[in-house]
Amino acid sequence: MSETVVETQALTKKYGEFVALDQLSITLQRGQILGFIGPNGAGKTTAIKILVGLARPTAGQARIAGVDCVREARKIKHLVGYMPDRFGSYDNMRVREYLDFFGAAFKIPWQRRRQRIDQVLETTGSTYMADRFVETLSHGMQQRIGIARTLLHDPEVLILDEPANGLDPQARIEMRELLLHLAAMGKTLIVTSHILPELSRICDRVAILTHGRLRASGTMDEIMTQVRQKRLIEVQLPNHAQFQQASQTLAQALGDQTAVVPSEAEAILRFETDRSDDDLGDVLALLVSSGIRVSQFRVVVSDLEDAFLTVTRSEADAA
Amino acid sequence: MPSHPIVQREFIGTMRCHRAAASVIVAAMAFSALVLLGWPSDAQVDLSGAPAQKVFRLFGYGLLGALLLLTPAFPATSIVREKQRGTLILLLNSPLRSWSIYFGKLIGSLGLVVLLLLTSLPAAAACYAMGGISLDGELLPLYAVLLLVAVQYTCWALLVSTYAPSTDAALRYAYGGVLLMAVVSLGPHYFLQGTGGWKAPAAEHLRYLSPITAVMELVGHSGVGSKGLLVAGDAFWRFVSYSMLATGLFAGLTLLRLNHRLFDRAHSQGLITDERHWLIRTLRRMVFVVDPQRRKLTIAPLVNPVMVKEFRCRRFGRMHWMIRLAAVSAMASLGLTYVASLGSMDWGPETIGGLMVLLQGALIVLLTPALAAGLISTELESGGWQLLQMTPLSATQILIGKLASVVWPLLLILVSTLPGYVVMVYIEPSMWLQIRQVLISLVLTGVFSIALSLACSSLFSRTATATASAYGALAVFCGGTMLVWLLRDAPFGHGTVVIALTMNPIAAGLAVIRTPGFAQYQLIPASWWFAACASMVCMALVIFRTHRLTRPQ
Repeated sequence: MSETVVETQALTKKYGEFVALDQLSITLQRGQILGFIGPNGAGKTTAIKILVGLARPTAGQARIAGVDCVREARKIKHLVGYMPDRFGSYDNMRVREYLDFFGAAFKIPWQRRRQRIDQVLETTGSTYMADRFVETLSHGMQQRIGIARTLLHDPEVLILDEPANGLDPQARIEMRELLLHLAAMGKTLIVTSHILPELSRICDRVAILTHGRLRASGTMDEIMTQVRQKRLIEVQLPNHAQFQQASQTLAQALGDQTAVVPSEAEAILRFETDRSDDDLGDVLALLVSSGIRVSQFRVVVSDLEDAFLTVTRSEADAA
Repeated sequence: MPSHPIVQREFIGTMRCHRAAASVIVAAMAFSALVLLGWPSDAQVDLSGAPAQKVFRLFGYGLLGALLLLTPAFPATSIVREKQRGTLILLLNSPLRSWSIYFGKLIGSLGLVVLLLLTSLPAAAACYAMGGISLDGELLPLYAVLLLVAVQYTCWALLVSTYAPSTDAALRYAYGGVLLMAVVSLGPHYFLQGTGGWKAPAAEHLRYLSPITAVMELVGHSGVGSKGLLVAGDAFWRFVSYSMLATGLFAGLTLLRLNHRLFDRAHSQGLITDERHWLIRTLRRMVFVVDPQRRKLTIAPLVNPVMVKEFRCRRFGRMHWMIRLAAVSAMASLGLTYVASLGSMDWGPETIGGLMVLLQGALIVLLTPALAAGLISTELESGGWQLLQMTPLSATQILIGKLASVVWPLLLILVSTLPGYVVMVYIEPSMWLQIRQVLISLVLTGVFSIALSLACSSLFSRTATATASAYGALAVFCGGTMLVWLLRDAPFGHGTVVIALTMNPIAAGLAVIRTPGFAQYQLIPASWWFAACASMVCMALVIFRTHRLTRPQ
């Protein structure tokens, strides 16, 4: 049976009149990865800071593994490994010394600390960096050491703020694999990122925030259903010869309620619809029976980026 | 030139900042106050011009002190900050030539200092109006010296800025250089004057590097510290020539460095002594004692990890340097005592004791802000504070670890000079009580310096600002009060000097050991009370700020 590890209820944070976070309620099961997405100033970092005990909510509750994030902030430090968006480098310190310091700060017994440091370096693929100075590491290396640091005290939940930010494609792939490996180890992860395709590949659940409010949350499929009530259909013609005829026939078949968007350069006709698959089959049959040659009749698969843009756009339209 | 983009940004940008405007206003008010202090209260005219001379002296030293404190602050961080932010590479890639960037920065940085000099003009005019001061013989040469000081030390700070790895290191090296050129350069002459050989003339030349010599001559103090010997009356011109030479040298070196090669540096690959040849290992062991490149041991149980972290990661005051410094201090104190015991110089135990107190006091005042002013601000600046907050360490543990990392090195330095005092007590057992009181004064100097520096560190989120503020505040307490002492008798009376010196624990040490010039002041226990209370206020502020920074937002 899945176990709820992270839970927030109507979490609200106000700075004076400004509402940074408004009634945020989310749950996350053990071993899941939650992707927190939203534009700058959406309230992601505020939510994270409350979860790790660095900020107090104005209202609402946040619990990690049953421990209250506000009242038992000390316990939370042992349960959570937090990697902020800034690395927090110290000069003249080698990676092993850096990890040794945080291990000592977490009161890991010194006999076990060395072994634990070796373990986290191996988990993050950073063993070869152990004797390098922290401040001379590249950004990608620092992100790995940042994750190694969060793993030192073996926390249940890892909260990573923009772990893929500024990484090159290769480092991004490695980071993705590392996060999936951590989830496979039983860690629960909360990850924020602006690189949405990355998130969509690794996250079990996604939460979209704008202006402090949760606009959509759930699995990728649930999100798509929430934000896209209509499916986008593309009709690909082999050439431009029958483009006008196809456009008129399609418009007649769909009626006035559905707008057909022609793209003559691509020889594609697009429309958004909530019709069933049977109805769409009838539309295709009509086109074929009218003598129009159709090379492809397809549903365009929406991704997280589309979902995010739909949410933020509808927000802007409402404003 | 005002349309030069760098001048625009450096000068006008700085002037838009409230602190710069406030410092100019405060300076103008301070100069006015200096003149008001010495303004004759009766309606009688003193034909000798003595009151005007007294005010002029105060004014000259005050202005010089303000310049020495203010001038390096902005240029020292100017290039290194651009390097860190990545904007220097943009400037070097723009059509601006290296010399154009350099002069833009020089003029931009000088702008504030020149403005400061301009704000002092009304006070100077008032001084002149009192009579007794010549325009071309005293006032104009004084301003010429001050202008040269501004240009020379701005050039020095810009040169330092091209070498320094960080803004706070730049500030330390820039102010350290100013101290060497302006103050320490006076020392050898004081001790070697009148002796034969090449040393005395060399020390005399060195003395003219300092603007203090030129200003002393201009205000009629050229005989101070000359021990009755005749002094040459050309300090002004010698300073002008040396200053111009130094300025040219600093500017030339900076221009040579201000190009793309500044960025052409390989990152350290983390060479470890443990993996090197045994011969190198042995040699390094002998040279360093505590080798910074060896693999460190795991932090032991019951040791505060924050303290160990501070020892390992600090840029300034790492253990191998501290041990060397302690060794030098021990040798210096023993050397001074040995000289006194031989009777080869006409120095009594009071003068030797005074020198040792000054040596220790100067070390404490110079080292403490460098060690303590970045303890909290560096964490805030680098994002390390948030990481510390995420550990189970309490605010108290963090603070104790940080304090211990400063207290131990200072204690090491303090203890290293004890052998000198022990020898002194052996020679003159009756001095035991005085030496105990001196040691208490020095310990209080250390405590006060640490508390003040830590308070500055907790108030600012930038290490450079915190370090400059800590040095500034300590300069006011330890240097500013000495300025009042320097002007004892006139315009400041005995009472005022006692009040000023009470705020300076080093002065208490000097008075206790009956150093010439300080013997007439009874400063303890008032000075101890002041240092203890001020330290407690500072520590209360630190505790308050630390708890504010640690608690959830």
